[in-house]
Amino acid sequence: MATKKKRSPSTGTDTWVVISADSAISTSKKDSRDPVIVRLKNPSTGLVSLYMFAGGDTRVFEMKAFKEDHHSWFIGQTVHRDGRLLYVTPVDPLYLVLPYLIKAEKEGKFQPVQQMVMDEDFPACTRLLNCLGEHASLAHIAEEKEVGNQKFHRYSQEKTMEWLKKKVDKTVKVLKNSNISVGGGVKSTTYIRVKKESDVSDEEYLRYAHGLISEYLSEDLSRDLLKHLQLPDVSSPKKVEPPNKKRKLSDKPVEAAEDYTQFNGRDFARKPPKKLTAVQKSLAKVDRTGMKTMSCFFSPKPKTEGK
Amino acid sequence: MSSNGSVTTVQLPSIGQAEQPQIHFLPCEIEHDGAAQVSHYFTAVVQDHKHEISVSYRGRELKGAEVSCPKDYTGLVMKEDHKPSSDQEDRTVRISSTFHRFSYWNLTTQPSPDDGVVMSMTWPTLAEAIHGSVDD
Repeated sequence: MATKKKRSPSTGTDTWVVISADSAISTSKKDSRDPVIVRLKNPSTGLVSLYMFAGGDTRVFEMKAFKEDHHSWFIGQTVHRDGRLLYVTPVDPLYLVLPYLIKAEKEGKFQPVQQMVMDEDFPACTRLLNCLGEHASLAHIAEEKEVGNQKFHRYSQEKTMEWLKKKVDKTVKVLKNSNISVGGGVKSTTYIRVKKESDVSDEEYLRYAHGLISEYLSEDLSRDLLKHLQLPDVSSPKKVEPPNKKRKLSDKPVEAAEDYTQFNGRDFARKPPKKLTAVQKSLAKVDRTGMKTMSCFFSPKPKTEGK
Repeated sequence: MSSNGSVTTVQLPSIGQAEQPQIHFLPCEIEHDGAAQVSHYFTAVVQDHKHEISVSYRGRELKGAEVSCPKDYTGLVMKEDHKPSSDQEDRTVRISSTFHRFSYWNLTTQPSPDDGVVMSMTWPTLAEAIHGSVDD
């Protein structure tokens, strides 16, 4: 890890501090297979991110790093230099299969989903198919045809927008019940939070939720969703300063690829998948350590802003 | 050659032998990985006054607080005992420790709900909203 001060470079770690959903580490009699951590294509960045499959591939989780500069851990009678805290939280598999369905839609025909969700660069993506079902039904994002005993699907933009709108509404509800500051509610110098943000407009909540959901969408989809929500595409947004700079809140969308880099450190470092564009390659080379962190979640901005 | 095909298995049965050590999140980077006399030089001098904890560490007064894992979440320390020799090799990690709360320490400010690490604990709630089923 290159920091400004002269520090010995971290040689990579063999230990990780993790906060995990119990559902990722519980076993049932029905399936006692161990969870596995795999690489999948991040639906927003197209780059590689880390995910975890549990319950015999029936549940999928993402791994995100919370990281602030200059932290380390004491774990019992040991020092652990790497001050990251990793979160393992459930992820809706539909976000992860969406890019594959959208790509397949260009052919215009109904196809078996197994035919669409395959990727030689990310072979683990087929595990996602086992996670689809009642709670993450393809019916939310695709039209369905049944011929004989086989089901065929085709991406539906209309359905996807409706589904994403429900996602946004649900997120707004949770935000309103939380004490997460979506406006400029945290006074920067005093660390004192203005408790009830009654003056925060519904539009601000909508935009914030849209920003959060957009972390899982391509730029095009994110922009389409903005339109669908009837939110004006602000090309020069009101300058809303990140409320608390000390916490290094970023106004850029979180790139989960960086979380991957952070999780992996040097010893995990991998070559980027083959088919990267020149731009992605140059991005992939950038040392993201110490740039954006999971705390960015608390100050997302819609992707279309500030462009 | 795609290294993206390799998987890392989390050995769940290891959770049975996992320790439950005290965990501290420190406001400085310590250039060391491995054993240290934490209880002798750190834990022993933690002072506990009316919900506020403090400790003198390397001549500085740190102010601390306890933070609990979110509901339905568990803290884990994952450890890899054998480093892979190539990036295409499958790997395994075991769960060496579990925890449900830990102490975090600030250099200058009083611990508050606005501290980054406390804020990060709300991520699971947000994630549930973003990723939960839309049908209920």
